[in-house]
Amino acid sequence: MNKLAIITGFLGGVKNRYITYEPDRDLVEKFKLAAQINALEGFELCYPADFSDIGLLKKLLSDYGYGVSAVNVRTRRTGKWWRGSFTSSHQQERMEVVDEIKEAMDATREVGAARITTCPLNDGHDYVFEMNYIDAYRYAQETFSAICEYDPGIKLCIEYKWNDPRTRCFFASAGETAAFCNAVGADNLGATLDIGHSIQTGERPAQAAALLAQAGRLFYVHLNDNDRNFDWDLIPGAYHFWEFIEFFFYLKELGYTDDWYAYDVMSKEIDTVETFNTVFDITRKLEKLSDGIDRSAAKSLMQERNPAKIMRFLYETVI
Amino acid sequence: MRRWKYTANASFYGLRRDRFTQYQPAASVREKLERVIATPGITGVELKYPYDFEDPRLIRQILDDSGISVSAVNVDIKDSEHFRFGALAASDKTARDKAFELLTAGMDLAAEFGSDLVSTCPLADGYDYPFQLDFTEAWGFFIETVSRVCRYRGDVRLALEFQPHEPHAHILLNNVGKMLHVCAEVGLPNLGANLDVGHSFAALESPAESAALLAAKDRFFYLHASDNTGDGGDWDMLSGSVHFWHWIELLLTMDRVGYEGWIGADLMAKFGTAQNFYSTNVKLINGMITLIENVGVGELHRLISESGSTTQVYDLMADRLERLSQFPAD
Repeated sequence: MNKLAIITGFLGGVKNRYITYEPDRDLVEKFKLAAQINALEGFELCYPADFSDIGLLKKLLSDYGYGVSAVNVRTRRTGKWWRGSFTSSHQQERMEVVDEIKEAMDATREVGAARITTCPLNDGHDYVFEMNYIDAYRYAQETFSAICEYDPGIKLCIEYKWNDPRTRCFFASAGETAAFCNAVGADNLGATLDIGHSIQTGERPAQAAALLAQAGRLFYVHLNDNDRNFDWDLIPGAYHFWEFIEFFFYLKELGYTDDWYAYDVMSKEIDTVETFNTVFDITRKLEKLSDGIDRSAAKSLMQERNPAKIMRFLYETVI
Repeated sequence: MRRWKYTANASFYGLRRDRFTQYQPAASVREKLERVIATPGITGVELKYPYDFEDPRLIRQILDDSGISVSAVNVDIKDSEHFRFGALAASDKTARDKAFELLTAGMDLAAEFGSDLVSTCPLADGYDYPFQLDFTEAWGFFIETVSRVCRYRGDVRLALEFQPHEPHAHILLNNVGKMLHVCAEVGLPNLGANLDVGHSFAALESPAESAALLAAKDRFFYLHASDNTGDGGDWDMLSGSVHFWHWIELLLTMDRVGYEGWIGADLMAKFGTAQNFYSTNVKLINGMITLIENVGVGELHRLISESGSTTQVYDLMADRLERLSQFPAD
C-alpha cells in the first residue's frame, strides 16, 4: 500500500496572489501541526527551507516517527533564477542549480530518502519571442544530465505542469517530460506525476501514468484535484471521481504499489488538519472502490471497447 | 476615432507576488504615486482603499499640480480577516456589513478626490467545491448588499469587476451575463461594470461583445486593459500581446458605442518596472487605434455590418498592414 505524505510547504504560509490564509510556520510548528493529522506517515521535505538545521530536522523525523517520501528542491524562489535555472541563458545560473541539487542529493541521503523532485516553474515563458526554445532544450539536457551523473542512486523527478507562475512552463505534459528524459538518457531521471497538473494540462491521468511507466519514467505521484482551468490543489476526487478510480486501477497495474503518495492540497479558508484528515480518508476510500473492480472483467470489457457496457459495469460494481 | 485617457492602477507599482514568488518589493504610497506620475502617457491613477488611504492629505499633496487625477477608488473586499467566507454574499451579516462599510467609505473618498467611480472585484464571493455554497441564499445576499451600497449615494457610481476564477475555482460574478443580471436585479443607474479585458478572455468571452452588451444597458463604466493566453489564467499581460485582433475589435467597438470612461490597466511587471509596462501598454493601444484609423473606421463598420464579409474586413486590414510595411523606416 502506498504511504501518505504531505509536502511541508502546505503546512504553513498558505497563500495565493490575493490572500494569505495561514501564517508562516517554522519546522517545529509544522511537525506539531502534522502530528494532529491521522494516518500521516511522512513528508516531502522542501529544500532548502527545511534543511537550515539538518540535525533538528533528523531529530524531529525520528522523534515523530515520520518517513521522507522525497526532497522537493524549490528551483523557483524570490530574488533568484527569475528566468529559469535549468534553461537559463546564463551559464552561471545553470551551474548554480546543478551545484544546489548535488548538495540536495547529499542531504537527501542524510535523511534516508532516495528521491528528489523539482517543479521547474520559472523555466518557461510568458510572451512569444521571449525564450529561445532551441537553446533552452540544449541547456536543460546539459544541466539535468550533470545532476543525474552526480549520484545515480538518487532518482531525480521532473514535476511537469502547464503554467503558473509563467503562462507556459517548459515541461507541460507527460509526453514532453518522457521525451526529454529519454533524450537525456539517464536511468535516474523521470517524472513526478502530479494528478492535478496532469488534469490541468488536458491529460487522462491513468493514460499519463501508463505512458510514463512504459518509458520507465513513472517515479513519483502527487495527489490533488482541480477543475481543469487552473492548479487549484483541491481535495482528491472532488471533481474527477472516476478519473481517480481509473488512476488507482492503473497504478496497481503498473506496479506503483509500495511507494508514496505526496499531497499538495490547499486548505485555504478551512482548517488544515481537518482538510488533510478528509483528504487521507477519501484517498483510502477511492483506493478501496478502485480495488473493488473485478480486474479480469474490466480488462475483458476494455477489449470490447464498449462504453455502454463499461459504464454500466462501473456503476453496478464500484458504487 | 475617439481617444481615451489612460490611468494606472497604483497597486501594480508596489509589491507584486503570486503563490510562489515575490517579484517586486513593497512600496509606500508616495513611491507608487511618484512612479505613476513619471509614467509617460498616464494622466490618472486608480488607488486602493483602504491600503493607499492611510493619509489622504498626503495623496492630495502629491497629486496637486502633477496633472494626475484619481480615475477611481478600488475597494478591496477580499482579505482573509473579514472575508474568509465571502463579502457581498457572505452568510455572516458582519462580513456583509463590513463590505458595505468599506465600499461606502470608498464612495465618499472618490467624491472627495473628484472622481465619481468606485470599482471592486468581489473575489471573496466564490467557491471551490460542489455543495460549498447555498446559491439561492448567496445570490440573494449579493444583490441585497450591492443594492444597499448603490443606494448610499447616487452621485458615485459602483463598477463591479467580474472575473471567472481565482482565488476560488468559481467566482459568483464570473461573466458579463451575470454582471448584467445583477444590474437588472438591482435596477439602479449608478451600478455598472469594470470590463477587465483579461478577465473577459479568461471567461471565454470576446471583450468587444461584452463591451457592446454593457453599453447597450448603460453599464459600461470603466475598463481594465490587459491580455492573457486565453486558457483561464489571469496573467495581466500587455494589451494585444496575445489577442491582437480581438483587441482591435474591442477598440473599434468602444468607439462605436461611445465609451467615455478611462482606460485603466492591470499589468504584471514580473521583470522590469511597472512604469515600463504601463507606458508600453499605452503605446500598444495607441498604435492599435492608429492602425484602425488608417484602415478606416467607417469602412470597417460598413463591412462588419454586412453578413458574410469577414474575409473582406481582414483583406482591408491586411492591405493596410502591407502598405505600412513598405514604408521606409525613418
